[in-house]
Amino acid sequence: MITAGLTQRFKVAFDPNSQIFSLAGTIRPRSIDEIAESIHALREAIDAVRGVLYIDVKRLIQMNNTAFQAFIRVALDACRERSDLRLIIITSSVVGWTTRMFRHLSTIEPQISVEVYDSMFYPGQSFVEDTSFIPILRAQTKMTWRHERTILPRHGMRPGIAMADICCGIGDFAVLAQKEFQPARIVALDHSRASLAYARTVAADFGVTGIEYTFGDASEMLLEDNQFDFVTCRHSLQIFNQPELLLKELYRIVKPGGRVYITNEKNSHCLGEPRAQSIQWTYNELARLLSHFEMDVELGPKSRRYLADAGFDDILVESFMVTNLDGDPQDFADVIAGWEKMFAAMATRHGETPEFIDRFRQGFRDHIFAALHPKGYAGWPIWAASGRKPL
Amino acid sequence: MGASVNETTETAFEPLLQFDMEMEIFLSDWQHCDHVSSYLARMISHNRTDPVRHSNFFSSALNELLEVSFRGGTTDGKIGLSIYRQGGTERVQLSFPCPPGQARFYREAVSKTRESDAQARYLDAISNDLAPSRESVLLDLAVNYDARLRLDEREAPAITLIVDLPLEGMVS
Repeated sequence: MITAGLTQRFKVAFDPNSQIFSLAGTIRPRSIDEIAESIHALREAIDAVRGVLYIDVKRLIQMNNTAFQAFIRVALDACRERSDLRLIIITSSVVGWTTRMFRHLSTIEPQISVEVYDSMFYPGQSFVEDTSFIPILRAQTKMTWRHERTILPRHGMRPGIAMADICCGIGDFAVLAQKEFQPARIVALDHSRASLAYARTVAADFGVTGIEYTFGDASEMLLEDNQFDFVTCRHSLQIFNQPELLLKELYRIVKPGGRVYITNEKNSHCLGEPRAQSIQWTYNELARLLSHFEMDVELGPKSRRYLADAGFDDILVESFMVTNLDGDPQDFADVIAGWEKMFAAMATRHGETPEFIDRFRQGFRDHIFAALHPKGYAGWPIWAASGRKPL
Repeated sequence: MGASVNETTETAFEPLLQFDMEMEIFLSDWQHCDHVSSYLARMISHNRTDPVRHSNFFSSALNELLEVSFRGGTTDGKIGLSIYRQGGTERVQLSFPCPPGQARFYREAVSKTRESDAQARYLDAISNDLAPSRESVLLDLAVNYDARLRLDEREAPAITLIVDLPLEGMVS
Protein backbone atom coordinates (compact mmCIF):
# COMPACT_ATOMS: atom_id res chain seq x y z
CA MET A 1 0.00 0.00 0.00
CA ILE A 2 1.18 3.51 -0.80
CA THR A 3 0.38 6.13 1.78
CA ALA A 4 0.97 9.66 0.63
CA GLY A 5 2.56 12.37 2.74
CA LEU A 6 0.92 15.21 4.58
CA THR A 7 0.20 17.24 1.46
CA GLN A 8 -1.77 14.43 -0.21
CA ARG A 9 -4.09 12.67 2.19
CA PHE A 10 -4.82 9.52 0.26
CA LYS A 11 -4.12 5.84 0.10
CA VAL A 12 -3.58 3.58 -2.86
CA ALA A 13 -3.69 -0.20 -2.49
CA PHE A 14 -3.76 -3.24 -4.74
CA ASP A 15 -5.04 -6.62 -3.66
CA PRO A 16 -3.81 -9.12 -6.29
CA ASN A 17 -5.96 -11.94 -4.89
CA SER A 18 -9.24 -10.15 -5.50
CA GLN A 19 -7.81 -7.99 -8.30
CA ILE A 20 -8.96 -4.80 -6.62
CA PHE A 21 -7.07 -1.54 -6.96
CA SER A 22 -8.40 1.02 -4.49
CA LEU A 23 -8.06 4.76 -4.18
CA ALA A 24 -9.15 6.43 -0.94
CA GLY A 25 -8.98 9.86 0.65
CA THR A 26 -8.34 13.27 -0.90
CA ILE A 27 -6.17 13.52 -4.01
CA ARG A 28 -5.65 17.09 -5.14
CA PRO A 29 -2.13 17.36 -6.58
CA ARG A 30 -0.79 20.42 -8.36
CA SER A 31 0.95 18.26 -10.95
CA ILE A 32 1.00 14.64 -12.04
CA ASP A 33 4.54 14.31 -10.69
CA GLU A 34 3.19 14.42 -7.14
CA ILE A 35 1.18 11.24 -7.74
CA ALA A 36 3.64 9.49 -10.07
CA GLU A 37 4.11 6.62 -7.64
CA SER A 38 0.37 5.99 -7.45
CA ILE A 39 -0.03 6.18 -11.22
CA HIS A 40 2.77 3.66 -11.53
CA ALA A 41 1.00 1.41 -9.00
CA LEU A 42 -2.12 1.40 -11.19
CA ARG A 43 -0.04 0.47 -14.24
CA GLU A 44 1.55 -2.38 -12.28
CA ALA A 45 -1.84 -3.58 -11.06
CA ILE A 46 -3.16 -3.65 -14.63
CA ASP A 47 -0.10 -5.59 -15.75
CA ALA A 48 -0.59 -8.07 -12.93
CA VAL A 49 -4.19 -9.03 -13.65
CA ARG A 50 -5.87 -11.21 -16.21
CA GLY A 51 -9.50 -10.53 -17.08
CA VAL A 52 -11.11 -8.04 -14.73
CA LEU A 53 -9.52 -5.35 -12.58
CA TYR A 54 -11.83 -3.68 -10.09
CA ILE A 55 -10.97 -0.05 -9.41
CA ASP A 56 -12.58 0.79 -6.09
CA VAL A 57 -13.17 4.51 -5.53
CA LYS A 58 -15.90 4.13 -2.89
CA ARG A 59 -13.73 5.86 -0.31
CA LEU A 60 -12.42 8.51 -2.65
CA ILE A 61 -13.51 11.68 -0.88
CA GLN A 62 -11.99 14.24 -3.23
CA MET A 63 -10.02 14.05 -6.47
CA ASN A 64 -9.18 17.03 -8.66
CA ASN A 65 -9.17 16.97 -12.43
CA THR A 66 -5.37 16.70 -12.53
CA ALA A 67 -5.48 13.38 -10.67
CA PHE A 68 -8.66 12.19 -12.40
CA GLN A 69 -7.24 12.64 -15.84
CA ALA A 70 -3.90 11.08 -14.91
CA PHE A 71 -5.52 7.92 -13.55
CA ILE A 72 -8.05 7.52 -16.35
CA ARG A 73 -5.29 8.06 -18.92
CA VAL A 74 -3.64 4.88 -17.63
CA ALA A 75 -6.96 3.01 -17.66
CA LEU A 76 -7.90 4.10 -21.18
CA ASP A 77 -4.44 3.38 -22.61
CA ALA A 78 -4.47 -0.08 -21.04
CA CYS A 79 -7.83 -0.91 -22.60
CA ARG A 80 -6.58 0.21 -25.99
CA GLU A 81 -3.51 -2.00 -25.67
CA ARG A 82 -5.23 -5.08 -24.23
CA SER A 83 -8.48 -6.39 -25.66
CA ASP A 84 -8.68 -9.04 -22.89
CA LEU A 85 -8.86 -6.44 -20.14
CA ARG A 86 -12.06 -5.32 -18.41
CA LEU A 87 -12.09 -2.56 -15.86
CA ILE A 88 -14.96 -2.24 -13.40
CA ILE A 89 -14.98 1.04 -11.50
CA ILE A 90 -16.91 0.92 -8.25
CA THR A 91 -18.19 4.30 -7.09
CA SER A 92 -20.33 5.13 -4.08
CA SER A 93 -23.79 6.67 -4.12
CA VAL A 94 -22.71 8.56 -1.00
CA VAL A 95 -20.05 10.58 -2.81
CA GLY A 96 -22.11 12.35 -5.45
CA TRP A 97 -19.42 13.65 -7.76
CA THR A 98 -17.58 10.34 -8.23
CA THR A 99 -20.38 8.61 -10.09
CA ARG A 100 -21.00 11.67 -12.25
CA MET A 101 -17.33 11.95 -13.23
CA PHE A 102 -16.48 8.30 -13.70
CA ARG A 103 -19.71 7.38 -15.55
CA HIS A 104 -18.30 8.87 -18.77
CA LEU A 105 -15.61 6.23 -18.98
CA SER A 106 -18.06 3.54 -20.06
CA THR A 107 -19.17 5.85 -22.88
CA ILE A 108 -15.60 6.43 -24.01
CA GLU A 109 -14.36 2.86 -23.61
CA PRO A 110 -16.62 -0.25 -23.87
CA GLN A 111 -14.13 -2.29 -21.85
CA ILE A 112 -14.82 -0.09 -18.83
CA SER A 113 -18.01 -0.30 -16.78
CA VAL A 114 -19.04 1.74 -13.78
CA GLU A 115 -21.00 0.23 -10.90
CA VAL A 116 -22.55 2.29 -8.12
CA TYR A 117 -22.25 0.78 -4.66
CA ASP A 118 -25.58 1.73 -3.15
CA SER A 119 -27.75 -0.84 -1.44
CA MET A 120 -26.83 -3.96 0.51
CA PHE A 121 -24.27 -2.37 2.76
CA TYR A 122 -24.68 -5.50 4.89
CA PRO A 123 -26.50 -8.85 4.43
CA GLY A 124 -29.60 -8.23 6.59
CA GLN A 125 -30.21 -4.68 5.41
CA SER A 126 -33.42 -5.26 3.47
CA PHE A 127 -35.20 -6.60 6.58
CA VAL A 128 -33.96 -3.89 8.92
CA GLU A 129 -34.91 -1.10 6.51
CA ASP A 130 -38.49 -2.26 5.97
CA THR A 131 -40.43 0.96 6.54
CA SER A 132 -43.31 -0.92 8.15
CA PHE A 133 -40.89 -1.45 11.02
CA ILE A 134 -40.71 2.29 11.80
CA PRO A 135 -43.40 2.29 14.55
CA ILE A 136 -41.53 -0.55 16.27
CA LEU A 137 -38.26 1.36 16.10
CA ARG A 138 -39.95 4.39 17.66
CA ALA A 139 -41.40 2.26 20.46
CA GLN A 140 -37.99 0.64 21.08
CA THR A 141 -36.28 4.03 21.42
CA LYS A 142 -39.05 5.23 23.75
CA MET A 143 -38.46 2.23 26.01
CA THR A 144 -34.66 2.31 25.98
CA TRP A 145 -34.53 6.10 26.44
CA ARG A 146 -35.99 5.76 29.96
CA HIS A 147 -32.76 4.00 30.88
CA GLU A 148 -30.26 5.66 28.57
CA ARG A 149 -31.05 9.23 29.61
CA THR A 150 -29.50 8.45 33.00
CA ILE A 151 -26.78 6.18 31.61
CA LEU A 152 -25.46 8.50 28.89
CA PRO A 153 -23.84 11.15 31.16
CA ARG A 154 -21.71 8.43 32.75
CA HIS A 155 -20.32 7.68 29.30
CA GLY A 156 -19.50 11.24 28.30
CA MET A 157 -22.71 12.87 27.13
CA ARG A 158 -22.93 16.49 28.28
CA PRO A 159 -24.20 19.85 27.00
CA GLY A 160 -22.20 21.78 24.42
CA ILE A 161 -20.36 18.87 22.84
CA ALA A 162 -20.07 17.88 19.19
CA MET A 163 -21.90 14.59 18.81
CA ALA A 164 -22.47 12.08 16.03
CA ASP A 165 -25.15 9.39 16.01
CA ILE A 166 -24.00 6.79 13.52
CA CYS A 167 -26.64 4.38 12.17
CA CYS A 168 -29.24 6.83 13.46
CA GLY A 169 -32.16 5.03 11.82
CA ILE A 170 -35.27 7.19 12.02
CA GLY A 171 -33.39 9.81 14.02
CA ASP A 172 -35.51 9.74 17.16
CA PHE A 173 -32.55 9.14 19.49
CA ALA A 174 -30.81 12.21 18.08
CA VAL A 175 -33.91 14.32 18.75
CA LEU A 176 -34.19 13.03 22.33
CA ALA A 177 -30.45 13.61 22.89
CA GLN A 178 -30.72 17.15 21.60
CA LYS A 179 -33.69 17.97 23.83
CA GLU A 180 -32.19 16.41 26.95
CA PHE A 181 -28.52 17.34 26.66
CA GLN A 182 -28.30 20.27 24.22
CA PRO A 183 -25.11 19.29 22.40
CA ALA A 184 -23.66 22.10 20.28
CA ARG A 185 -23.75 19.96 17.15
CA ILE A 186 -25.36 16.67 16.14
CA VAL A 187 -24.60 14.82 12.95
CA ALA A 188 -26.90 11.83 12.42
CA LEU A 189 -25.89 9.35 9.72
CA ASP A 190 -27.70 6.39 8.26
CA HIS A 191 -27.63 4.29 5.09
CA SER A 192 -31.41 4.24 4.68
CA ARG A 193 -32.80 7.08 2.60
CA ALA A 194 -36.34 6.16 3.74
CA SER A 195 -35.36 6.39 7.41
CA LEU A 196 -33.60 9.72 6.87
CA ALA A 197 -36.60 11.12 5.01
CA TYR A 198 -38.77 10.10 7.94
CA ALA A 199 -36.28 11.64 10.38
CA ARG A 200 -36.23 14.96 8.53
CA THR A 201 -40.03 15.05 8.39
CA VAL A 202 -40.38 14.34 12.11
CA ALA A 203 -37.75 16.97 12.94
CA ALA A 204 -39.53 19.55 10.78
CA ASP A 205 -42.95 18.67 12.22
CA PHE A 206 -41.66 19.15 15.76
CA GLY A 207 -39.70 22.28 14.94
CA VAL A 208 -36.41 20.58 15.74
CA THR A 209 -33.51 22.23 13.96
CA GLY A 210 -29.78 21.79 14.11
CA ILE A 211 -29.54 18.04 13.53
CA GLU A 212 -27.50 17.37 10.40
CA TYR A 213 -29.00 14.22 8.92
CA THR A 214 -26.74 12.65 6.32
CA PHE A 215 -26.83 9.63 4.05
CA GLY A 216 -23.77 7.47 4.36
CA ASP A 217 -22.17 4.08 4.80
CA ALA A 218 -21.10 3.76 8.43
CA SER A 219 -18.12 1.64 7.47
CA GLU A 220 -16.84 4.28 5.02
CA MET A 221 -17.96 7.70 6.17
CA LEU A 222 -17.32 11.07 4.58
CA LEU A 223 -16.91 12.59 8.05
CA GLU A 224 -13.43 13.86 8.80
CA ASP A 225 -11.05 12.50 11.43
CA ASN A 226 -11.12 13.63 15.08
CA GLN A 227 -14.31 15.72 14.82
CA PHE A 228 -16.59 14.64 17.64
CA ASP A 229 -16.50 14.59 21.44
CA PHE A 230 -19.06 11.82 21.63
CA VAL A 231 -20.10 9.25 19.04
CA THR A 232 -23.05 6.94 19.55
CA CYS A 233 -23.83 3.80 17.60
CA ARG A 234 -26.82 1.98 19.01
CA HIS A 235 -28.04 -1.54 18.16
CA SER A 236 -25.97 -1.55 15.00
CA LEU A 237 -22.69 -3.38 15.52
CA GLN A 238 -24.82 -6.47 16.16
CA ILE A 239 -26.56 -6.38 12.78
CA PHE A 240 -23.51 -5.43 10.74
CA ASN A 241 -21.44 -8.30 9.37
CA GLN A 242 -18.13 -6.55 10.04
CA PRO A 243 -18.48 -4.77 13.41
CA GLU A 244 -14.72 -4.23 13.71
CA LEU A 245 -14.80 -2.22 10.46
CA LEU A 246 -17.53 -0.02 11.81
CA LEU A 247 -15.68 0.49 15.11
CA LYS A 248 -12.59 1.52 13.19
CA GLU A 249 -14.59 4.32 11.58
CA LEU A 250 -16.13 5.37 14.91
CA TYR A 251 -12.61 5.51 16.34
CA ARG A 252 -11.44 7.61 13.41
CA ILE A 253 -14.09 10.33 13.72
CA VAL A 254 -14.04 10.75 17.51
CA LYS A 255 -11.56 13.24 18.96
CA PRO A 256 -8.64 12.00 21.06
CA GLY A 257 -10.04 11.99 24.59
CA GLY A 258 -13.59 11.68 23.27
CA ARG A 259 -15.75 8.62 23.74
CA VAL A 260 -17.63 6.16 21.55
CA TYR A 261 -20.83 4.77 23.06
CA ILE A 262 -22.39 1.55 21.74
CA THR A 263 -25.43 -0.47 22.72
CA ASN A 264 -26.06 -4.07 21.75
CA GLU A 265 -28.21 -6.97 22.83
CA LYS A 266 -27.85 -10.57 23.84
CA ASN A 267 -31.10 -11.85 22.41
CA SER A 268 -30.90 -15.28 23.99
CA HIS A 269 -31.20 -13.54 27.36
CA CYS A 270 -34.63 -12.12 26.61
CA LEU A 271 -36.91 -13.56 29.24
CA GLY A 272 -40.42 -13.75 30.58
CA GLU A 273 -42.66 -15.35 33.14
CA PRO A 274 -44.96 -17.19 32.76
CA ARG A 275 -44.15 -19.43 29.78
CA ALA A 276 -40.41 -19.00 30.29
CA GLN A 277 -39.37 -22.15 28.42
CA SER A 278 -41.17 -21.30 25.20
CA ILE A 279 -39.77 -17.76 25.32
CA GLN A 280 -36.26 -19.02 25.98
CA TRP A 281 -36.42 -21.50 23.09
CA THR A 282 -37.51 -18.86 20.59
CA TYR A 283 -34.82 -16.35 21.52
CA ASN A 284 -32.12 -19.02 21.42
CA GLU A 285 -33.33 -19.94 17.94
CA LEU A 286 -33.47 -16.27 16.99
CA ALA A 287 -29.78 -15.83 17.75
CA ARG A 288 -29.01 -18.90 15.67
CA LEU A 289 -31.24 -17.76 12.79
CA LEU A 290 -29.73 -14.29 12.61
CA SER A 291 -26.21 -15.69 12.53
CA HIS A 292 -27.16 -17.05 9.10
CA PHE A 293 -27.67 -13.43 8.04
CA GLU A 294 -24.24 -12.57 9.49
CA MET A 295 -25.78 -10.75 12.44
CA ASP A 296 -24.50 -11.33 15.96
CA VAL A 297 -27.37 -10.42 18.26
CA GLU A 298 -25.40 -11.96 21.12
CA LEU A 299 -22.80 -9.20 20.84
CA GLY A 300 -23.74 -7.18 23.96
CA PRO A 301 -21.35 -8.79 26.48
CA LYS A 302 -18.61 -8.84 23.82
CA SER A 303 -18.63 -5.02 23.71
CA ARG A 304 -15.64 -4.71 26.03
CA ARG A 305 -13.50 -6.92 23.78
CA TYR A 306 -14.57 -5.16 20.60
CA LEU A 307 -13.81 -1.72 22.08
CA ALA A 308 -10.43 -2.86 23.40
CA ASP A 309 -9.47 -4.45 20.08
CA ALA A 310 -10.39 -1.22 18.29
CA GLY A 311 -7.87 0.70 20.43
CA PHE A 312 -10.11 2.36 23.02
CA ASP A 313 -9.12 2.70 26.67
CA ASP A 314 -11.03 3.54 29.86
CA ILE A 315 -13.77 1.15 28.75
CA LEU A 316 -17.04 1.23 30.67
CA VAL A 317 -19.66 -1.50 30.34
CA GLU A 318 -23.05 -1.76 31.97
CA SER A 319 -26.31 -3.48 31.22
CA PHE A 320 -29.93 -2.62 31.71
CA MET A 321 -33.19 -4.49 31.30
CA VAL A 322 -36.10 -2.99 29.42
CA THR A 323 -39.21 -4.51 30.96
CA ASN A 324 -42.96 -4.47 30.73
CA LEU A 325 -43.00 -2.57 34.06
CA ASP A 326 -41.08 0.44 32.69
CA GLY A 327 -44.13 2.12 31.25
CA ASP A 328 -47.18 0.95 29.37
CA PRO A 329 -46.87 -2.87 28.99
CA GLN A 330 -48.63 -2.53 25.64
CA ASP A 331 -45.55 -0.71 24.26
CA PHE A 332 -43.44 -3.73 25.17
CA ALA A 333 -46.02 -6.06 23.61
CA ASP A 334 -46.13 -3.98 20.41
CA VAL A 335 -42.37 -4.22 20.02
CA ILE A 336 -42.41 -7.98 20.44
CA ALA A 337 -45.25 -8.25 17.92
CA GLY A 338 -43.09 -6.34 15.45
CA TRP A 339 -40.18 -8.67 16.10
CA GLU A 340 -42.40 -11.70 15.52
CA LYS A 341 -43.42 -10.38 12.11
CA MET A 342 -39.91 -9.43 10.99
CA PHE A 343 -38.08 -12.48 12.33
CA ALA A 344 -40.72 -14.92 11.05
CA ALA A 345 -40.15 -13.43 7.59
CA MET A 346 -36.43 -13.99 7.99
CA ALA A 347 -37.03 -17.59 9.12
CA THR A 348 -39.13 -18.16 6.03
CA ARG A 349 -36.42 -16.63 3.84
CA HIS A 350 -33.91 -18.96 5.47
CA GLY A 351 -36.05 -21.97 4.55
CA GLU A 352 -37.23 -23.04 7.98
CA THR A 353 -40.13 -25.53 8.09
CA PRO A 354 -43.71 -24.39 8.82
CA GLU A 355 -43.55 -26.39 12.08
CA PHE A 356 -40.44 -24.52 13.16
CA ILE A 357 -41.96 -21.18 12.25
CA ASP A 358 -45.14 -21.94 14.24
CA ARG A 359 -43.12 -22.79 17.35
CA PHE A 360 -40.80 -19.84 16.71
CA ARG A 361 -43.75 -17.44 16.52
CA GLN A 362 -45.29 -18.97 19.66
CA GLY A 363 -42.30 -17.89 21.75
CA PHE A 364 -42.85 -14.25 20.78
CA ARG A 365 -46.56 -14.60 21.52
CA ASP A 366 -45.73 -16.05 24.94
CA HIS A 367 -43.39 -13.11 25.53
CA ILE A 368 -46.33 -10.79 24.78
CA PHE A 369 -48.53 -12.88 27.07
CA ALA A 370 -45.99 -12.46 29.87
CA ALA A 371 -45.74 -8.72 29.22
CA LEU A 372 -49.49 -8.18 29.43
CA HIS A 373 -50.18 -10.68 32.22
CA PRO A 374 -51.24 -8.86 35.42
CA LYS A 375 -48.62 -10.79 37.39
CA GLY A 376 -46.19 -11.32 34.49
CA TYR A 377 -42.71 -10.04 33.86
CA ALA A 378 -41.02 -9.65 30.49
CA GLY A 379 -37.50 -8.43 29.85
CA TRP A 380 -35.19 -7.36 27.05
CA PRO A 381 -31.55 -6.95 28.19
CA ILE A 382 -29.20 -4.43 26.61
CA TRP A 383 -25.51 -3.76 27.10
CA ALA A 384 -24.30 -0.16 27.00
CA ALA A 385 -20.56 0.32 26.66
CA SER A 386 -18.16 3.10 25.82
CA GLY A 387 -14.46 3.58 25.33
CA ARG A 388 -12.17 6.60 25.17
CA LYS A 389 -9.90 7.30 22.23
CA PRO A 390 -6.44 7.73 23.77
CA LEU A 391 -4.99 11.25 23.78
CA MET B 1 -7.16 36.26 4.78
CA GLY B 2 -10.57 37.34 5.92
CA ALA B 3 -14.20 36.25 5.79
CA SER B 4 -17.17 38.46 6.41
CA VAL B 5 -20.82 38.71 5.55
CA ASN B 6 -21.26 40.53 2.28
CA GLU B 7 -23.89 43.25 2.51
CA THR B 8 -24.17 43.50 -1.27
CA THR B 9 -27.65 42.68 -2.43
CA GLU B 10 -28.05 40.45 -5.45
CA THR B 11 -31.50 40.13 -6.91
CA ALA B 12 -33.08 36.90 -5.77
CA PHE B 13 -29.76 35.50 -4.59
CA GLU B 14 -29.12 35.69 -0.85
CA PRO B 15 -25.53 36.51 0.11
CA LEU B 16 -23.92 33.84 2.27
CA LEU B 17 -20.32 34.92 2.64
CA GLN B 18 -17.46 36.79 1.08
CA PHE B 19 -13.82 35.85 1.27
CA ASP B 20 -10.82 37.68 -0.02
CA MET B 21 -7.07 37.21 0.08
CA GLU B 22 -3.99 38.84 -1.41
CA MET B 23 -3.14 36.93 -4.58
CA GLU B 24 0.51 36.82 -3.61
CA ILE B 25 -0.39 34.95 -0.44
CA PHE B 26 -2.92 32.74 -2.21
CA LEU B 27 -0.38 31.74 -4.85
CA SER B 28 2.27 30.96 -2.23
CA ASP B 29 0.79 27.57 -1.40
CA TRP B 30 -1.16 25.15 -3.62
CA GLN B 31 -2.89 23.75 -0.54
CA HIS B 32 -4.85 27.01 -0.19
CA CYS B 33 -7.22 25.72 -2.89
CA ASP B 34 -7.98 22.57 -0.89
CA HIS B 35 -8.18 24.30 2.48
CA VAL B 36 -10.35 27.20 1.35
CA SER B 37 -12.74 25.03 -0.64
CA SER B 38 -13.16 22.51 2.19
CA TYR B 39 -13.64 25.16 4.87
CA LEU B 40 -16.07 27.35 2.96
CA ALA B 41 -18.03 24.33 1.72
CA ARG B 42 -18.60 23.23 5.31
CA MET B 43 -19.72 26.73 6.30
CA ILE B 44 -22.29 27.20 3.57
CA SER B 45 -23.61 23.61 3.66
CA HIS B 46 -24.53 23.42 7.33
CA ASN B 47 -28.23 24.12 6.69
CA ARG B 48 -28.60 22.06 3.52
CA THR B 49 -30.74 18.91 3.67
CA ASP B 50 -27.67 16.68 3.79
CA PRO B 51 -24.88 19.00 4.99
CA VAL B 52 -22.07 16.45 4.85
CA ARG B 53 -22.69 15.32 1.29
CA HIS B 54 -23.52 18.81 0.06
CA SER B 55 -20.26 20.06 1.52
CA ASN B 56 -18.31 17.28 -0.19
CA PHE B 57 -19.93 18.00 -3.56
CA PHE B 58 -19.59 21.77 -3.26
CA SER B 59 -15.97 21.55 -2.15
CA SER B 60 -15.20 19.46 -5.20
CA ALA B 61 -16.57 22.12 -7.57
CA LEU B 62 -15.16 25.09 -5.67
CA ASN B 63 -11.70 23.55 -5.53
CA GLU B 64 -11.64 23.27 -9.32
CA LEU B 65 -12.52 26.95 -9.65
CA LEU B 66 -9.83 27.93 -7.16
CA GLU B 67 -7.30 25.79 -9.01
CA VAL B 68 -8.22 27.63 -12.24
CA SER B 69 -7.49 30.95 -10.53
CA PHE B 70 -4.28 29.53 -9.04
CA ARG B 71 -3.00 28.38 -12.41
CA GLY B 72 -4.16 31.46 -14.33
CA GLY B 73 -3.87 34.30 -11.83
CA THR B 74 -1.19 36.93 -11.30
CA THR B 75 0.28 38.13 -8.02
CA ASP B 76 -0.96 41.73 -8.13
CA GLY B 77 -4.28 42.36 -6.45
CA LYS B 78 -6.68 40.14 -4.57
CA ILE B 79 -8.66 37.02 -5.13
CA GLY B 80 -12.28 37.59 -4.12
CA LEU B 81 -14.83 34.88 -3.57
CA SER B 82 -18.51 35.50 -2.86
CA ILE B 83 -21.13 32.81 -2.39
CA TYR B 84 -24.86 33.40 -2.73
CA ARG B 85 -27.89 31.14 -2.54
CA GLN B 86 -31.23 30.93 -4.28
CA GLY B 87 -33.31 27.86 -3.50
CA GLY B 88 -31.32 24.78 -4.37
CA THR B 89 -28.57 26.70 -6.13
CA GLU B 90 -25.38 28.29 -4.87
CA ARG B 91 -23.79 31.03 -6.91
CA VAL B 92 -20.01 31.37 -6.73
CA GLN B 93 -18.45 34.63 -7.89
CA LEU B 94 -14.70 34.27 -8.15
CA SER B 95 -12.62 37.33 -9.07
CA PHE B 96 -8.90 37.27 -9.65
CA PRO B 97 -6.32 39.28 -11.61
CA CYS B 98 -5.04 37.60 -14.72
CA PRO B 99 -2.51 38.54 -17.41
CA PRO B 100 -3.60 40.84 -20.25
CA GLY B 101 -5.13 38.89 -23.09
CA GLN B 102 -6.33 36.07 -20.84
CA ALA B 103 -9.82 37.51 -20.60
CA ARG B 104 -10.47 36.47 -24.17
CA PHE B 105 -9.39 32.92 -23.37
CA TYR B 106 -11.81 32.75 -20.44
CA ARG B 107 -14.57 34.38 -22.49
CA GLU B 108 -14.28 31.64 -25.09
CA ALA B 109 -13.89 28.84 -22.55
CA VAL B 110 -16.98 29.96 -20.64
CA SER B 111 -18.90 30.32 -23.88
CA LYS B 112 -18.09 26.73 -24.84
CA THR B 113 -19.62 25.44 -21.60
CA ARG B 114 -23.00 26.74 -22.78
CA GLU B 115 -22.90 25.26 -26.24
CA SER B 116 -24.77 22.10 -27.23
CA ASP B 117 -21.56 20.16 -27.82
CA ALA B 118 -20.18 20.82 -24.32
CA GLN B 119 -20.40 17.18 -23.32
CA ALA B 120 -18.75 15.99 -26.54
CA ARG B 121 -15.92 18.48 -26.00
CA TYR B 122 -15.51 17.30 -22.42
CA LEU B 123 -15.42 13.62 -23.41
CA ASP B 124 -12.90 14.41 -26.10
CA ALA B 125 -10.70 16.24 -23.58
CA ILE B 126 -10.70 13.48 -20.99
CA SER B 127 -10.24 10.83 -23.69
CA ASN B 128 -7.12 12.33 -25.17
CA ASP B 129 -5.44 14.86 -22.91
CA LEU B 130 -2.77 13.89 -20.41
CA ALA B 131 -3.58 16.77 -18.09
CA PRO B 132 -6.68 18.93 -17.80
CA SER B 133 -6.72 22.33 -19.43
CA ARG B 134 -8.54 25.23 -17.78
CA GLU B 135 -11.11 24.87 -20.55
CA SER B 136 -11.79 21.22 -19.74
CA VAL B 137 -12.10 22.06 -16.04
CA LEU B 138 -14.85 24.54 -16.84
CA LEU B 139 -16.50 21.94 -19.09
CA ASP B 140 -16.28 19.47 -16.19
CA LEU B 141 -18.26 21.89 -14.03
CA ALA B 142 -20.92 22.27 -16.71
CA VAL B 143 -21.20 18.55 -17.47
CA ASN B 144 -20.73 16.92 -14.07
CA TYR B 145 -22.15 19.59 -11.76
CA ASP B 146 -24.83 20.98 -14.10
CA ALA B 147 -23.19 24.36 -13.55
CA ARG B 148 -24.10 27.45 -15.56
CA LEU B 149 -21.13 29.72 -16.09
CA ARG B 150 -20.67 33.29 -17.24
CA LEU B 151 -17.90 35.84 -17.17
CA ASP B 152 -17.84 39.41 -15.88
CA GLU B 153 -15.00 41.55 -17.22
CA ARG B 154 -16.02 44.90 -15.74
CA GLU B 155 -13.16 44.95 -13.21
CA ALA B 156 -10.35 44.41 -15.76
CA PRO B 157 -7.61 43.32 -15.55
CA ALA B 158 -9.37 41.11 -13.02
CA ILE B 159 -12.02 38.75 -14.30
CA THR B 160 -14.98 37.32 -12.44
CA LEU B 161 -16.25 33.83 -13.06
CA ILE B 162 -19.90 33.51 -12.05
CA VAL B 163 -20.91 29.90 -11.57
CA ASP B 164 -24.35 28.67 -10.53
CA LEU B 165 -24.22 25.23 -8.92
CA PRO B 166 -27.59 23.46 -8.41
CA LEU B 167 -26.12 20.85 -6.10
CA GLU B 168 -28.90 20.57 -3.50
CA GLY B 169 -31.16 18.72 -5.92
CA MET B 170 -28.33 16.44 -6.99
CA VAL B 171 -27.33 15.54 -3.44
CA SER B 172 -30.80 15.03 -2.02
